[in-house]
Amino acid sequence: MRLFAVGLSHRTAPVELRERVDFARGGVETALAALASRGVGRELVVLSTCNRAEIYAVGDTDTTADGVGQFFSEYHHIAHTQITEHLYVHRGADAARHLFRVAAGLDSLVVGEPQILGQVKAAYGVASDGQFTAALTNRLFHSAFTVGKRVRAETGLGEGAVSVSYAAIALAKKIFGDLKGRGVLILGAGEMAKLTGIHLQSQHVKQITIASRTLLAAQNLASRLGGVAVSWDGFDAALAAADIVVTASGASEPILSRARVEDAMRPRRSRPLFIIDIAVPRDVETAAGDLDQVFLYNIDDLRTIVQENLARRGAELARAEAIVDEEVARFTAWMQSREIVPTVVALRQRFETIRRAELERLEPKLASLPPEARTRVDEVTRLIVEKLLLTPTEQLKSVSDEAMIVAYADALNRLFSLAQDTEKAKGGVASEEESEVSS
Amino acid sequence: MHLLPLLLYAAAAAAYVAHFAWRDPRVGRLATALLGGGVLAHTFLIGMQTVEAGHAPLVGTSAAISAFVWLLGLSYLYIELTSDERSMGAFVAVLLVALDVIAALDPSVTPRPPLLRSPLFTIHVMSVLLAYASFALACVLGVTYVLLFKEIKAKHLGFFYTRLPSLQVLDVMNSRAITVGWIFLTLGVIVGGIWAAKVQGSPDPRAQAMSLADPKILVALVSWGIYSFALFARKVIGWSGRRAAYLSSMAFVVVLLNFVLVGYFLTTSHNF
Repeated sequence: MRLFAVGLSHRTAPVELRERVDFARGGVETALAALASRGVGRELVVLSTCNRAEIYAVGDTDTTADGVGQFFSEYHHIAHTQITEHLYVHRGADAARHLFRVAAGLDSLVVGEPQILGQVKAAYGVASDGQFTAALTNRLFHSAFTVGKRVRAETGLGEGAVSVSYAAIALAKKIFGDLKGRGVLILGAGEMAKLTGIHLQSQHVKQITIASRTLLAAQNLASRLGGVAVSWDGFDAALAAADIVVTASGASEPILSRARVEDAMRPRRSRPLFIIDIAVPRDVETAAGDLDQVFLYNIDDLRTIVQENLARRGAELARAEAIVDEEVARFTAWMQSREIVPTVVALRQRFETIRRAELERLEPKLASLPPEARTRVDEVTRLIVEKLLLTPTEQLKSVSDEAMIVAYADALNRLFSLAQDTEKAKGGVASEEESEVSS
Repeated sequence: MHLLPLLLYAAAAAAYVAHFAWRDPRVGRLATALLGGGVLAHTFLIGMQTVEAGHAPLVGTSAAISAFVWLLGLSYLYIELTSDERSMGAFVAVLLVALDVIAALDPSVTPRPPLLRSPLFTIHVMSVLLAYASFALACVLGVTYVLLFKEIKAKHLGFFYTRLPSLQVLDVMNSRAITVGWIFLTLGVIVGGIWAAKVQGSPDPRAQAMSLADPKILVALVSWGIYSFALFARKVIGWSGRRAAYLSSMAFVVVLLNFVLVGYFLTTSHNF
């Protein structure tokens, strides 16, 4: 049994191709059923997001990977030659590592983004509900969830906004806590004003007020954002009432002088005012930021924060990768014990059977010996078998590469014709693996 | 046995600081568990002392500090478990350790003089200690508010920005802590006054010293004045945010001076 991960992502395929292999469009259940009906792979999970389409499958040989590759092109009616150069295939531990990195957000377009873990969970949920998963994929995906959770909890990978709008909203939340019930004033009605307004609206702020040099533009944006427009000369009352002010007017002279902000602050007492100046040239006098309880951030300040956050995420990468390494090692050890232990058990049973058979064959000759001597013979033969098996057992246990495990198991099965014994040992492995392997 | 709570508090403080610095949730849970263990051990200790002495161990400054540490630990745990916010722990636990070291220097239970055999005494001490515990939390909230405020104002978002809750949350919690503390302090002062009037006829010289001339009583009233002003300033003048944060941190310094310094060395009325 081998694990395969076959797919394509934003790293290997252009968006035109990714759009065409979107499994979610026709329903992931349908895709799983179609794939299962082809007899490709015993356990299946389909992960389909806007940035990746991947199939995790368990099969016996590399033909499973080929079959899944074929499925990608045939299911989506794309020429195989067109898709094959964009497909990647990961096997065994590499497949596990790939999934773990995906779940941790390490393989995402924006490294550390948190949505992917939920998408991985959903993909597994669909496959599990349709009974396309079994022991190996169950373990694999639960390990992936662990990786995702650990990376989020133990590293700062997902922390810190990495776009100017998110940085502004994160700052606003750090000042006001929840943004629900907060008032927003937007000065300007251009593209930047609109984008920031949409972001703020998604935070469910209480009210958005818009002022622009042309009242019509302000009214248009107000209807788009569900806010109210006020005249350009009359926004001082709105300024005093607002908690967050976004300035994006495109005026050549500052529109908010220190004195004007100071006037607006007076009736507010100590209620903080967060001014986000995203206009270039700037709309707010720098000195306004010196006022008590006024937090003034311009576009460069926000960009600096984004840069710092990106740098910090980079520093957290190594810690996240270490967590992935750790969990891959744990998963591989589990997988390995599943694969190699039955072989070891079968090998030892084969040797023991031969020993017993030989002793039985010699029984007539040994019958004349005194009981102590017979015990001695039994002990010596047992020790010889133990000694002979010691090194191979240790060697087998130390193999970590999954391909090598398969090769070794295969070789031993052939050399000692263990096939039947291995199947038998698999049944009793749970009870025997501890004592047999540790001896 | 009497050192066990201190050791657990110290371990908890180390874990809280480590959690604050590296934000490993396992270390955070360990810190909470250690603090919980410390408070539990402290509860047993106080319980045993109560059984042995036949009265609550509240006599003398060391005992009062010990009881204060216990109350602060308990109130902080309550806040942590209800708000799911662990970042204050680093500050609170360090304060707990510092004060418990002072208390541990004199672990003996002072026998209760006849003067203090009144339920009013217990109510007085417990209310004042609860007030001080609230003020201690307000102080920690104030200090962290200022730290975060300065980072945001300076546009240098770093250490505290990623670790502390929002300014709004810190401010609201500060306001609550001051209000609760002020209510208990008012109660404690009133009960103390009634009790002092009742024992005026007592031959105990300390009863005679119960007047505004005694530094402990004077400074307690001064701190009541400061906190009353803090409440008034917030509700009426609109001093919230940074000003309230500064005020609550400064005011607690006065409380701490009164509690420890004046309590040990200067008072003639409260030296039990």
